[in-house]
Parts: sequence; structure tokens; C-alpha cells
Amino acid sequence: MRERLTTLLGGRYGILALLAAMVLAAALAIPEFRTPSNIRNVIVQSAPLAILAVGQTVVIVAGLIDLSVGMLIGLIVVITSDVMAGQSVATPLGIAVALGLGAAVGAVNGGLNNLLRIHPLILTFGMLSVLQGAIFVYTDRSVGLTSPEFAWLANGDVAGLPASAILLVAFAALVAGLMYRTRFGSHVHATGGNVEHARRAGIATGRVEFWVFVLSGVSAGIAGILVAGRLGTGYPNAGAGYELDAIVAVVLGGTSLAGGRGSIVGTIAAVFVLGVTSNALNLLEVSSFVQILVKGLIVVGAILLNQPRRTVPA
Amino acid sequence: MSIAETPDRRPLWPRVGRFLERYAIWLVLALLFVVAASLSEAFLRPVYIGNIVRQAAPVGIAAVGVTLVMILGGVDLSVGAVISLTAVLAAIVMNGEVANIPLAIGLCVVTGAAIGGVNGVLVAYNRISPFILTLGMAVVVTGITQIFSGGTARGIVSPGFREFFNFRIGGVLPVLAIALLFIAGLGIWLQRATSFGRSLFLIGSNPMTARLSGLPVERVTIAAYALSGVAGALAGLALLARSGVSSTFAGRGLEFDVLAAVVLGGTTFEGGRGGIGGTIAGVLVLVIAFNLVNILGLNFNAQLIVKGAIIIAASAAYVIVKRQQ
Repeated sequence: MRERLTTLLGGRYGILALLAAMVLAAALAIPEFRTPSNIRNVIVQSAPLAILAVGQTVVIVAGLIDLSVGMLIGLIVVITSDVMAGQSVATPLGIAVALGLGAAVGAVNGGLNNLLRIHPLILTFGMLSVLQGAIFVYTDRSVGLTSPEFAWLANGDVAGLPASAILLVAFAALVAGLMYRTRFGSHVHATGGNVEHARRAGIATGRVEFWVFVLSGVSAGIAGILVAGRLGTGYPNAGAGYELDAIVAVVLGGTSLAGGRGSIVGTIAAVFVLGVTSNALNLLEVSSFVQILVKGLIVVGAILLNQPRRTVPA
Repeated sequence: MSIAETPDRRPLWPRVGRFLERYAIWLVLALLFVVAASLSEAFLRPVYIGNIVRQAAPVGIAAVGVTLVMILGGVDLSVGAVISLTAVLAAIVMNGEVANIPLAIGLCVVTGAAIGGVNGVLVAYNRISPFILTLGMAVVVTGITQIFSGGTARGIVSPGFREFFNFRIGGVLPVLAIALLFIAGLGIWLQRATSFGRSLFLIGSNPMTARLSGLPVERVTIAAYALSGVAGALAGLALLARSGVSSTFAGRGLEFDVLAAVVLGGTTFEGGRGGIGGTIAGVLVLVIAFNLVNILGLNFNAQLIVKGAIIIAASAAYVIVKRQQ
């Protein structure tokens, strides 16, 4: 039984099979799950994490890790809400601030990574602390108001499809194209596979790592716009914990923490596995405490069934 | 410190180089201390130094266990959750009665060993990433803590428990600080003088060779993770003794403080190198940095910024010192 499960889940489409099984089970067992409005809810609620996790997939494929993205989302939510103050005319400014701030923090991470050569886990953990401090120096309570356009991006529809889902698909397609159709993508895979070999093959690994961190920052910027739009105001703790959920989704989706290979489709499927589970448990009125436990058991169980083909040190 | 250390081929200053590599973090600690002492005389008062070591106890005790696991080439991110669980468990079992203290401590140690043991078994017999496994285990343990406590701070700390651990021997050194030094000493003994300690370094530097040489890789792995769980439980008790708070989130995020301290101290993610001595220096660097910004009158939020900057700067300084050899 376990061998068969391992073969199924360890395969390229394992996480998709798991997602399909969970959706099927939830749809059969819970009538409320099947309603279009509920399905839409699951998608809209999962979109910010999915976008963030797509960025983190690139980071992890490059052999790096970025713990600063959760607090970066928090900072972006607070500052964009504050500068927009609910004004529609300020929407372009809000978007520019979100993407600019994301890219800037990503560039600082990337620059320091090249300059200092310290482990990215330590570097971005330090940055997490710096950003957390920055958020609360800026404000310790909810500030500002997002524009109606932000709310529309987070909750609205285009031609019957959620705007946030379209944003997710567009971003994921863009990143997938970058990773699998361009020279930069090959360089990211080579750098993550073995940075020394990549360097000797003439790849500017420092530059590759720099742009990977910038991409991660931009993904936090886009996710931040959706989180801000959903909350409607600049809540300082908005991004807490997002970084861990993103990493969990990336690894559940079949990307190796050792770097060098990964799957963007797998990452998105993993985000929806977590989203469907939490939605189903909510509909079953399971207490939030039990939900945490179930989420942990799913993570541990999926890791055990979805074993990597080679050993991963840390 | 690694047994598999290759001889230094550079003829110039080989001894200085090796000295710097091994003691870089102590150099950073000394430097930070001089800066701190020049900014505030408080850092020269014995009582204050004793207090700094006392503050370092929860993170330091947990870091001793995580160091063992990381020498082995693993990592344990579940310690923060174990700290929260055991702090709550201890307060509930104590229920305000002095007679319950031994039972509370015993139960916490067993719980920590059990959680660490499960981590160890899953890592030893599966080819999975310990990083993500222990992250998942942290979520499981947090869920258990929440269900167990009902989501709020519960339990009553026995009278005398906190007083005992915070008592200053000779008016200077708190018992909690001695507990940290004792556990660190025990860890250093384990790491240096026992075959278990040597096995950790051998498995960490080359798991394949270790296995082929007939080392009991699985048994050592399980023991290391179990010890990390026990250290996490003792850290939970230390946190309860220091702050008296048995909130379900008492240990949240502490796993990253622990990790920062271990890596600052020179133990790498790749395994096979480093040690508990460096880890203790790493913890002290973090605590002194925190106290320094506090004394300079910055508020808590500004402290977070400085803490992050110091983690990055100290880590960078360590890399630079090592590169100078």
C-alpha cells in the first residue's frame, strides 16, 4: 500500500493526484463545498500565498531561501494602505509602492548575499527581524485604507473569473516561462544544482542569485497587494507566518530544498491542497486548534510519502 | 574541531589561522562586549553579566541540543513549539503545588524526548529533509498545545519554582545561569569525550563513509534528535522559570533565535563541523546585542531592527575573519 502510494505521490504529478483526491473527497462528503461561491472562496483565499510560493520556488531552485517575505508583505500592506488613504486616484501609486518596495528589499537581500557571503537563511532571518522592526516603528496599529481598486483585485471578477486567480495564472505563467524557456532559467537551475560547477562553467552566479532575490521580493509585492485589498486596511501583522507556509508549499510541491530542480505547478497544487483542507475543516466546523494539528499531520504525512530521490542535507 | 579536518596546507600562520577559525565567534563576542562596555558601564557590573547569562538560558539550552543535531548534518525547527508545549504542560501539572514540581519536570523531559525521538526515527529511516519534517512537526506540536490548553495561558506555577531558579548565588550568579552553563558543559563533554560525540562528527562529515565503517547511523541519529527534544523541554522549563508565562505561544519563533545562535557559533548546515562552545558564544552575542540596544534607550521595535542588523553583521564578521587565514 505504502509502496504504491509512494510511487503515485513521488511521481511528477503526485501532488496533483493528491489535490484531485482531496477535492473529490471534500465534494462528496460536504455538500456546501461543491457550491460555486465556496470554490471561488478557496481560490481567492489561496491566491496571495500561491503567488508568494511561486516566487519562493525560484529562490529554492536556485539553492537559496528567503524568510523575509512574510514581514515584507506586512510592511507593504501597511505602507500602501497608508499612502492610498482610500483614494482611487492613488491606486497606481499604491501598486508602484508595493512592487517597488518588494523589488528594493529583494535587491538589498541579493546585494548583501553577494557582498557578505553568509548563509541565506541567516541573512533573510536577520532581514525578517529588521522588517518586523520597521513595520512597528512605522505603526503599531492598523493604518490607512486601501482603494476600491485594491479590493476589486483581491475579491472582484473579470468575465466571471476571480481577478486574483487571473493574476496568479499570469504570474505563474510568466515565471514558468522565465524558468523553463530562457537562458536565465537554465542559469538558475545550474546555480542551484551546484554553484561551484555553474561558476566554473562561466555563469555569473552572483548576478543570478541577485535577480532571484529581486523576483522573490516582487512576488511578495504582488501578494501584498492582494492581502491589502482583502483586509482593506494596513494591519501590521498581516504577513506573519506567510514565509513558512510558502516554504511548506514549495517542498510539498516536490521542489528539492537542495536546489537545482523544482516544479511551479506542483507548488501551486500544494497551496491548494492546504487551502482545500482548511476550507473543508471550516465547513465541518472543526475547531481552529484541531485544524492546526491536521495541517501539521498533512505536511508530515505528505513529506513521508513524497520522498526525494536523493538525500537532502538540511 | 572536526575530526575529519584536513591538514592546513598553507605554511604561513597555520596556527593563527586555525585559532581564528575555531575561536572567531569568541573574538566577535569579545569585540561586541568591549563596544558594549564602552557605551555603558553596566556591562562591567557582575550582577548585570549574571543577568545576561540568565536571559540567555532558554535559547541557550535549546541551542545545545540543536547543535548536536546540526553537527550530524540535520536540523531541528520543532524546538520553538516544544518550548511552548512544555511551558504550558509544566504550569498545568504544577497547579500551584510545590509537591508537583518533580512530576512536572519529569513529564516535560519525557514529552521532549518522545517528540525528538519521533523526529529522529522519521529522519533516520526515511530519505526526507529534516528541515521540512521538523517544520511540519512544529505545526503538529503547536496544534497539540492549542488543543491541550484551550488556546489561552493556563496552569499555575508552583511557589518557589521561579524563586529557586532566579535566586542569585552570592548575590551575583542566578541558578538559571548555572543551569545553562551546566547543560552546556554536559553537551561539550558528550561532544568531545564520548563515542556518541565522535560519531556525530563522522556522520555529519560523510554519512556514507560512516555507514560503511559500521557506525550505528540510525541509532545515533535518533539519540541526537531525542536529546534535542529533551533540551527543548528543559528550555521550556527555563522560560517558565524566567518569565512565569505559560502562554501557548511562549516559544513561538524561538527556533530561529536558536538557529541564528548555532550558525553564528560556527556549526554549519552541512554538518561535521562546529560545536557547543561556539553556540554558547553565539547566544551571548545575540543577548548582549539585545541588551545593548535596550540600554541605549531604543524602544522594542527599533531593537528588532538592530537585532536583525547585528545577526547579519556578526555572521558577516565571522565569515571575514575565517577568510583572512
